[in-house]
Amino acid sequence: MTEGWENLSSSQRQEAFLAKWASGEGIPFVSEEAKASYQYRAGLIKDAVTLKKTPDRVPVVPLAIFAPVMLYGYSGMQAMYDPHILGKVCLDYTRDYDVDATVIPPMVMYGPALDVLGYQLYKWPGHGIKEELSYQFVEKEYMKAEDYDHFIADPSDYWFRVWLPRTHGSLEPLAQLPPLYGTMELPMAGPWLCSLGAPPIQEAYKALLEAGRVSFEWIQALGPYIGQMVASGYPIYAGGVAKAPFDVLGDSFRGTTELMMDLYRRPEKVLAAADRLVPLMIGMGAGGAAANNNPLVFIPLHKGADGFMSNEQFEKFYWPSLKKVIIGLAENGCVPCCFVEGGYNQRLEYLAEVPKGECVFIFDRTDMAKAREVLGGKACIGGGFPVSLIITGTVQQVEDETKRLLDVEAGNGGYILSIGCAMDEAREHTLKAFIQTGKTYGKY
Amino acid sequence: MQDTRALIEDIVEMKEEQALAKTQQLLAQGVPALDLFDAYRKALEEVGKRYEKQIYFIPELILGGRMMQSALEIIKPHLDHATTKGPSKLGKVLIATVAGDIHDIGKNMVTMLMDISGFEVLDLGVDVPAEKIVAEAKGFRPDIVGLSGLLTLAFDSMKAVVGNLAESGMRNTVKVIIGGGQMDDQVCKYVGADAFVTDAVAGINICKGWVS
Repeated sequence: MTEGWENLSSSQRQEAFLAKWASGEGIPFVSEEAKASYQYRAGLIKDAVTLKKTPDRVPVVPLAIFAPVMLYGYSGMQAMYDPHILGKVCLDYTRDYDVDATVIPPMVMYGPALDVLGYQLYKWPGHGIKEELSYQFVEKEYMKAEDYDHFIADPSDYWFRVWLPRTHGSLEPLAQLPPLYGTMELPMAGPWLCSLGAPPIQEAYKALLEAGRVSFEWIQALGPYIGQMVASGYPIYAGGVAKAPFDVLGDSFRGTTELMMDLYRRPEKVLAAADRLVPLMIGMGAGGAAANNNPLVFIPLHKGADGFMSNEQFEKFYWPSLKKVIIGLAENGCVPCCFVEGGYNQRLEYLAEVPKGECVFIFDRTDMAKAREVLGGKACIGGGFPVSLIITGTVQQVEDETKRLLDVEAGNGGYILSIGCAMDEAREHTLKAFIQTGKTYGKY
Repeated sequence: MQDTRALIEDIVEMKEEQALAKTQQLLAQGVPALDLFDAYRKALEEVGKRYEKQIYFIPELILGGRMMQSALEIIKPHLDHATTKGPSKLGKVLIATVAGDIHDIGKNMVTMLMDISGFEVLDLGVDVPAEKIVAEAKGFRPDIVGLSGLLTLAFDSMKAVVGNLAESGMRNTVKVIIGGGQMDDQVCKYVGADAFVTDAVAGINICKGWVS
């Protein structure tokens, strides 16, 4: 990536990747002004993240998924089934709300691809959810307790031949496939290839190919809008996504209820599985960052929050594998941006263990004064603004709370103004008041 | 009672297999099923207390509840139905995840704790329209209506329930409590609820206070 990359430290790699990203290199900007705006906005974020310089002002980066769709009067279903509607609202939102880093449109996903796959892991608008709303997770025990050993021994094999068939209706026949390993030699290759020819498996692969085909068309249609967003001078707030290994298990595999009982029933399996996921998550986050030429890797944290488990359990089951993912991403020059859902008032000291200036923590319900006290000078922090005020409050309330938060938080830098939630809805006047107040009152 | 003391300790200490084995053993020794049921109730009360003191958290609440479920399968045939419901009821709670929201883990945990705490609970499930909640309330006549929701869309759905309760003339006869990760005082006022909570045991305690 950069000359002498092998000899650079994590923070030097991050600096190099951030500098490359913030320069806007390779982006066909619509004007010199747009280029300057992009460099200014990305520069604010870069300075806030690395803690080496006080930015000109606080960067304002509210996270959102469906909010642009709802703000412009479209339904969740329209956004998920028409890339032109999705692209247009994201472009309009980016320009009208003038944020310092904007949304990732593909996170809304494409309904027709999910339809073809018989996707069961979420319900989405028009498919188990009212048309006007956003998608929602369907948490179940997709991985059985007795499956841990298979998962730990070979996560990809488990993922493909057990988990996909259970969570994607059209891929159910893939459960009949033998493992791939016979392909290593001619005399052993037969079973795998013959299985591929079985009619149900042919149908499953056809569904997979069709989902890929429609998704490719979708991204071809959506791409130009994303291109315009960036070319108009707006960085996108993440290049890659990763998750805390414990959350991968809790969200998509065991389900919260079963995983929480596993802490007593089979603790060693939970630890082994979480550890097994570490390199996978690093590879996924770093791969996305490299592909999108954007070092910011978004990591939503779910099930390690205050109230979910004790500090002892957090220290044993949640934090070690997450910390490894954070450090591993930093070693790849990426900036892990943890979106810390729930409250972390009892966990802040753990977060302070990450190397200085290498990680971002955006908070939801954590006491932000305490976060500043514990993490100030160690990591860039942000968030803490209640989404309830954006949705149910007045402009005056939002302005007052934004100022209060900035007084407590902004310090001499190392701060990103954000909302404690990736918004699926918002209100125009309050959201604009939040952004505007952030920009004027957040001047250093 | 001496017989069940060790059982209570096993349950409270999350020794699942030992507790279950002991339950079967005690039953075989002729300890009355009702005593065993009481042991589980007492143990789970202690688990709840430890949760309030932040010694225990979600894993223990869930595992405690599951232990009781497994034990009930063994001892239920030896109990007459009425006794499994516990002593006289504290009050009636109608609970639901509101329209548009399909999250149920928090709601289910509250339902379990309410039941153990001695409330009679009617759980209407997830994505329940305001009209249905109010219609069910007319028949069930709850003391408390508990509304759950994880997403911001729940704010308006909850507000609609409170509005419909008022239109039906029931608002003054029930307390309304809202629960979920994004609930706060601002949302509570917006919805017109009597209280908000972000954790299950706090919700149980508020409800106990209301009916005492």
